[in-house]
Amino acid sequence: MMIGDSALAREFWEQGKAASCPIYDMHGHMGDFHSIYFPRGDTAAMISTMDECGVRMLVFSHHTALFSPDLANTRSVEAVRRFPERLRAYCVINPNYPEIVEREVASFDSLFPDVYVGFKFLSDYHQVALTDDRYRPAWEYADARGLLVLAHTWGGSRFDGEDVVRQVAERYPNIKFLLGHSCHGAWDAAVQLARDFPNVYLELTAVFDDRGVIEKFVREAGSDRMLFGTDLPWFDPHHAIGVLLNADITDDDRHNICHRNAERLLTPLTGSQSTL
Amino acid sequence: MKFFDCNAFFGLPSLRPLMPAPTTDELLAEMDRAGVERALVWHIAQHDGAPRVGNQLLAEAIAPHPRLVGCWTVLPNQAREFPPPAELFRQMQASRVAALRVFPNAHKFLLNTVSMGDLLEAMTMRRVPLFVSVKRGMAWHDVYNLLAEFPALVCVICDHGCWGEDRMFRPLLERYPNVYVDTAQYLLDGGIEALVADYGPRHILFGSGFPESYFGGMMMALRHAQISDEAKALIAGGNLERIIDENLSTDLTDETD
Repeated sequence: MMIGDSALAREFWEQGKAASCPIYDMHGHMGDFHSIYFPRGDTAAMISTMDECGVRMLVFSHHTALFSPDLANTRSVEAVRRFPERLRAYCVINPNYPEIVEREVASFDSLFPDVYVGFKFLSDYHQVALTDDRYRPAWEYADARGLLVLAHTWGGSRFDGEDVVRQVAERYPNIKFLLGHSCHGAWDAAVQLARDFPNVYLELTAVFDDRGVIEKFVREAGSDRMLFGTDLPWFDPHHAIGVLLNADITDDDRHNICHRNAERLLTPLTGSQSTL
Repeated sequence: MKFFDCNAFFGLPSLRPLMPAPTTDELLAEMDRAGVERALVWHIAQHDGAPRVGNQLLAEAIAPHPRLVGCWTVLPNQAREFPPPAELFRQMQASRVAALRVFPNAHKFLLNTVSMGDLLEAMTMRRVPLFVSVKRGMAWHDVYNLLAEFPALVCVICDHGCWGEDRMFRPLLERYPNVYVDTAQYLLDGGIEALVADYGPRHILFGSGFPESYFGGMMMALRHAQISDEAKALIAGGNLERIIDENLSTDLTDETD
């Protein structure tokens, strides 16, 4: 026996991927980042990793979009246009530059859904709370159209902790609200948010390293509310896959987490491209 | 591949976790479920409680289980809480304990010649591995200072962080011949491949971080890493066998300090 004793475990262990279980990675990045060395950070290398791990689609935000306002979302757009069958982007909003926010939101329509499927907020790093008015144009735009919003969320944070998340979840019931890192560490609060708001999803980047959380989420929130994510190129998707196979959950749960939930979210946005 | 985990513990932490492994029964059951053959283990009481309490709990618990090898915790010995190095090593061998851990931050001491020179010198001579955990408070500058003073020490840097620590440990791998890193927090995509390409596979040890992390994560990452099967076998268990098993078999009867 290796890792687990299910059919999926055997297939993934032997092949590195499973034909019946494609993966949609809903939380990625791309390119260089100041404090981490990435052996596989460029677009082509990331696509290669996706091939090896059976990742059909990555929804990402380029590091330059997050940390280099001069470039904003340009490199995300370029990457998606280069690999349109494998990539979609979140339009990053850096609320420290309202004039850029206005420009990026105005450009969204022309890039949806071929490039963008939603917005990405990184409040802890940008040090502006999700409830701040500077985010409002993007929240309202996304809420009016039922877009995805992936927000970095971290337990106890005054910028994007569970209490802040609850406030914006109440304000914007039409978005598909992906809690990046699932309010990391505030696991009970994350479960409660998923229970209280049907449009809230628990995204699992950096959660895979905390043994027991996967089982808790499946048991208390349901695997139909959980999404696969890795911060690629930060974390090896095979690590996350190994965790899912080793965790005490069913193959049906694994299918939900790896692809079914993401397909359900992306199909209405991508329309005819629902077979991505 | 045969997996020999260098970094797992059992016992009840003082703060209740989501999914502890209270005893060796739970630990071994999970090892079986994952397919881990052997493990170098410690008891959480060595950190959360007191080293001597935890060391005793560990020795008693692993005694019936030859798949488990122990890793005790030590302190500066000015107050003679532990026997002198030669006697400590004999007690370790008698208890199937093959390595030592320190937690300088939690246990309030400085890991250097002034505090622990006798033991660190003896460990270097006897090639007894010292495990340090970045996750449990071992600061990088303290690792650098330690190795500057004991450049031949067998030192395993574990739990070195998932947020990109290559710039911290790569200089140590380049300078010191007996430095190893474990995989417990090394989730970096392509990290294993890049390390093997630059330094070879002999200084990487499979570690899970169980029960705080899953066995299966890094097992899967290593299984499908783009390196040779020989390199995978060394990382999965061969390297740890090489540095551990000699300590279990050396005749220490006539050793003195």
